[in-house]
Amino acid sequence: MSQVLHPIEKKIIKFLRANPNSSLTQIEKGTKLGMDQCRRGVEWLKLKNYAIVKDSEKIFVSLGENGLVAKEHGLPEYSCVPTSFDQPLSISTVRSELKSDFDPAIGIARRNGWISIGDGFITLTAKPPENESPLLQLLKFIGEKKIPISDIKNKKSLEELKNRPGYLVFESDKSKYISLTPISETIQIQEDVIVVKKKSSQFEKSDGRAIDVEADTEQIFVAKTHPLNDTINEIREIFVTLGFSEILGNQTQSSFWNFDALFTPQDHPARELQDTFYLDGIVSKKIATPKQIQQVSKVHKKGWRYFWSISEAQKMVLRTHTTCVTIKYLAENKPDEARVFSLGRVFRNEKVSYKHLVEFNQIEGIVVGKNTTLRDLMGIQREFYRRLGLNKVKFWPTFFPYTEPSLQSMVYNERLKKWVELFGMGIFRQEVTKPLGITKPVLAWGGGIERIAMLKYELDDVRELYNNNLKWLRSVSKCP
Amino acid sequence: MPVVELELPRLQKLVGKTNRKKLMETLPFLGLDIESQENDNIRVEYSPNRPDYSTDLGIALGLQGLLGTKKGIPKLKIKKIGDFQIKVDSSVSKVRPFVTCIVALNGKIDDQVLKQIIVMQEDLHFGIGRRRKKSSIGIHDLDSISFPLTYTTTTRNHKFIPLNSTKENTISEILKNTEVGKDYGNILGNFPKVPIIIDSLGNTVSFPPIINSSLTTVTTKTKNLFVEVTGIDKTDVEDMLSIVATILQSAGFELCTVKISGAKNSTPQFKQRKISLKSNLVNTMLGLNLPSSKIISALKKCRLDAIAKKTNIVCTIPRYRFDIFGEMDLVEEVALGYGIENLTPTLSPPQTHGEKNKELQVLNNLSHIMVGLGFMEALNSSLTSKKLLYDLTNRDHSNIISVIDSKSEEHKILRDSLVPGLINNLSNNIHEPYPQKLFEMGTIFSKGNPINEEIHLASVSAHNDSNFSELKSFLQSALKTGFNIECKTKTSSHPTFEKGSTAEIIVNDKTFGIIGKIDSKVQENFKIRVPVFGFEIKLTGLIFD
Repeated sequence: MSQVLHPIEKKIIKFLRANPNSSLTQIEKGTKLGMDQCRRGVEWLKLKNYAIVKDSEKIFVSLGENGLVAKEHGLPEYSCVPTSFDQPLSISTVRSELKSDFDPAIGIARRNGWISIGDGFITLTAKPPENESPLLQLLKFIGEKKIPISDIKNKKSLEELKNRPGYLVFESDKSKYISLTPISETIQIQEDVIVVKKKSSQFEKSDGRAIDVEADTEQIFVAKTHPLNDTINEIREIFVTLGFSEILGNQTQSSFWNFDALFTPQDHPARELQDTFYLDGIVSKKIATPKQIQQVSKVHKKGWRYFWSISEAQKMVLRTHTTCVTIKYLAENKPDEARVFSLGRVFRNEKVSYKHLVEFNQIEGIVVGKNTTLRDLMGIQREFYRRLGLNKVKFWPTFFPYTEPSLQSMVYNERLKKWVELFGMGIFRQEVTKPLGITKPVLAWGGGIERIAMLKYELDDVRELYNNNLKWLRSVSKCP
Repeated sequence: MPVVELELPRLQKLVGKTNRKKLMETLPFLGLDIESQENDNIRVEYSPNRPDYSTDLGIALGLQGLLGTKKGIPKLKIKKIGDFQIKVDSSVSKVRPFVTCIVALNGKIDDQVLKQIIVMQEDLHFGIGRRRKKSSIGIHDLDSISFPLTYTTTTRNHKFIPLNSTKENTISEILKNTEVGKDYGNILGNFPKVPIIIDSLGNTVSFPPIINSSLTTVTTKTKNLFVEVTGIDKTDVEDMLSIVATILQSAGFELCTVKISGAKNSTPQFKQRKISLKSNLVNTMLGLNLPSSKIISALKKCRLDAIAKKTNIVCTIPRYRFDIFGEMDLVEEVALGYGIENLTPTLSPPQTHGEKNKELQVLNNLSHIMVGLGFMEALNSSLTSKKLLYDLTNRDHSNIISVIDSKSEEHKILRDSLVPGLINNLSNNIHEPYPQKLFEMGTIFSKGNPINEEIHLASVSAHNDSNFSELKSFLQSALKTGFNIECKTKTSSHPTFEKGSTAEIIVNDKTFGIIGKIDSKVQENFKIRVPVFGFEIKLTGLIFD
C-alpha cells in the first residue's frame, strides 16, 4: 500500500478529520485547493482505501411567502378569535381582514374549539393557549435560513406546516459526501509536508517502507541554449555537411563593401538613411586597395553614369547583408574552387513588427567552381530544405541588384497552408566580380534564419525570438 | 519593392487568348509576386529593374510573351507627322540640362488608363527618377499647347496657374505652398533661375521637375498627349521616355516624333541595341544543353529578338529594356523564357570539404558549459537604447556609438556591454519562478579603427540565495573546465555594481572583466526584487585571438 501522500491528499485528510462527511464544495472551501485538485485528491484517497464517498440526498427547508407573513404577524387562526366572550366579531369584518386565509383560519379555530359561528358573528368559546404555538416556534426557528430537514425535531409541526400552502419550501441536494475510513486513522501527517521544498529525500529515507513511485513531482526548469541559436547551429551543420566552410566578418562595414563592391549605385534607394543604419560620424579611412577602389568606381561610372564619390563609400554602416563578408573573401582569395558561407547578424532600418526586426540573422553561401550551374544551386537548396524537413519547394524568378539570373525559393508551410518565401539565390553579376579580379562564376544563395526558426517553433511573431521570455524559453521543446 | 494594382478582367483582355488561372500561374514566373488578392483585384510586387511593369499594359506585354501569344520585340512605330518642335535654351544646362519628348495621338483615355498612367508616372519618379532628381515626366493635353515650345529658365517671380489650382502663383509661391513644391523644391537648389517649358503663345506648359500647368491638364476627354521628360543625364531621360512611349503605344496611341534641338539636346532615336550571346555560356550557366533555336525561342518569349550567327546568337534589345547590361542578363532572359519551372534541380557531389570555424566551435563549447552550470541562454539585439545601456545601468556614455535616423526608439545605440541587456531580461521576467540564471555570448562594439568588435560572455544569477561566491565559482569552473584557465578576482568598482561587492576578473595579471552584485539602485530602476549577481568577461584574446 502506498504510504507517501501527495500534499493535496494530506490537506484533504486534515480537513476531513475535522469535518467528517463533507461535500466536495465544502472541502474546496476548507482546504483552499482548486475543485480539480479536490476531485483528484478524493479519487486518490478512495483508491488507497482512505476515504469513502457516499451519494446522499439532503433535504433543506425554508419559509415560503405565507410562512414568512405568519412568522411576522402570527398564525391566521389566532386573528379570527375574539379577545373576550362578550365581544363577538362580525364575520364580514374578519373575512375582509384575512382574505384568502379566512376559511382555513376559521376551520382550524373551530376544530380547536376556540370559536362558534352563528348569525353572522364569531363567538369565543374557549381561549387559545397562552404559550406560543409550536407552529410559530418552528416558523421562527427556520426564519430566513435554509435548514436541513434533519435539524428539525418537531416533526409533527413540520407535517402540519407542510399541509399549509405557501408556508414551506423544500429543496433537495443530491451530492457526494466524503468521509474517512477507519484505516485512515493510522496516517500521520507532519505539519510542514505541504511544502514540497527539498523534503522528498526525508521521505525516501523512510524506515523500509515503500515510496509512492506514482506521485507527481516538482517541475524542474532545464537550462538550454537559445532556440534561435539551436536553429543557427542546425543550419551551420547542414552547410558544413554540404561541403561549405564558414568564414567570419565584421558587423560594421564600410559602404564600399556593403554596397559599392556589389554594384549598388550610390544614389540607390536601399542606401538611403531610411533603409540602412549609418554610424553617426564614423568613416573608414582605409576601405580597400587603391586598385579595388579604382576598378569599382570605374564600373559604377560606366554602368550607372554618375559621379562616384569615395567619401560616400567610406561611410560606415551596420551591414545590411552577409554578402559583404563573402565578396571581401572572394576579393582577397580569388579562389578557382570554393564553397564558403558567412552567417551572422544583419541590420535594416525598419519599423519593428510581427514580421520585421531591425536586426536578424542571415546566412549566405557561395559556390565557385568550373562546372557549377544554376540547376546545381537549385539542387543544393532543395537538399538543404529537405534536411530541415521541408519537402515542398519551388523556384520563382526575382531580382537582386548584384546577381543575374536571380531566383527565390518558395517553401510550402503545412501549418499555414501556404507558400512562404525563403532563401534567394543567383549568380554574381560580372559588374561585381570583374573589378575585384574574380574570374570564375560565383553562385550565391542565402536568406534570413529567423523565418526558418519561426517555421520550426510555430511562431507567428518574429519578436518572440528576442523577447527572452522565460516562460517561453523554459517551455519550448528542444526538438520540436 | 514597388507594388502595382491590377484588375484581372482588364489584364485578361489586354493579354488576349488566356484564362484567369493561367494568368495567375504565370505572373510569378515573370518575377511578379502576388501580394494580395481581393476578387478581381490583385496587388503584385515588381522588381525595381523592370519599371515597364509599373502598369498593367507593361505586364500584359510580358505575359503575352511567356504565354506565347505574342513574341519578339513590341516594336515602337514612331511617325513623323505634324510639326512638333522644342528648342532648348543653353541657360538650362546649369539646372536641368536635358529634355526629351514624344507626342501620342488618337488614344482613348478612360478612368482605368488614366489611373495606370498616373501610377506609372509616380513609380518612375520614385524609382529610376530617384525621386525626380535624376529625371521626371510631365504628361500634357497636346491640344492645349501651341508649338514650337521652348525649354528654358525663368526667374522665381514667373507666374502661371499650376495643376489643380485656379489662380496664378509665382514659382516661389509654388515651392513654398504646395506639397510637391515642398517635397521636390530642393532639387533646384539655390539657383535664382528655374527650368520652364513655354509654348509659342508664351503660356507655361510645365515647371519641371515640380508641377505641370493647369492649362494642359489631362482628363478622360483628352485624345492626344504631349510627354516631356527632363533630367540631368541624356541617357537617363531617354530611358524614362522609352518606357512611357512603349506603354502609351500598347495603350493604343500612335506615337509621333518631337524634334529637339539646342544646348546638346537632340531628338530621341529609341535605338535598339545588339548583344551577342554564346549558347555555350547559357548552357554552362543554367546547366542545360539547349540548341540555338531553343535559346532564340526563349529570348523571343521575353519580348526580345534574336537570330543565330555561327556559334553565337545575336540578340536585339528594345530601347526600354535598359536593365539589360550584358550577356549574363540575357542568360536570365533565356532562363525565364525557357521557364524556371522547367529547370529541374540537380545535386552533384561537392568538390570541397566543409569545415567548421574553430573560433565558433570554442564559443559553442563554452555555451554548453554555461548550460551545464544551469544558465539559460538569452539573446539580445546589438542595437539598443541609451536609456537601457547607460541611464538605467548608471554607466558612462562618453563613448556612445549611435546610428543615424533609426525608426525605432529602442534601437539607436550599439551595445558596448552585455550585462544591461541581461538585467533588462530579468526585469521583464519578474513574474516567472526563481531562480533565474541567464547568460549571453555576443558581439560588443567600441570606437577604434574605426570600430572594434569583440565577443563577450555575460551572465546573471537572480534568486533569494544568490551571492558573490556562487557566481564566482560558476565563472571559475567555466573557465577551468572549458579552457584550463585560472582566474582571480580583485576588489574594484563599477557604476552598475555595488560598492564593496565588486571585483575585476584577472587572468595572468590582465583584466578581462567584472563580477559583482548589481547595485541596489540599478535593481530598483529595473524593478527587480531579488538579489542579482552578474559578470561580464571579454573572450576575444582570452580563449581565441
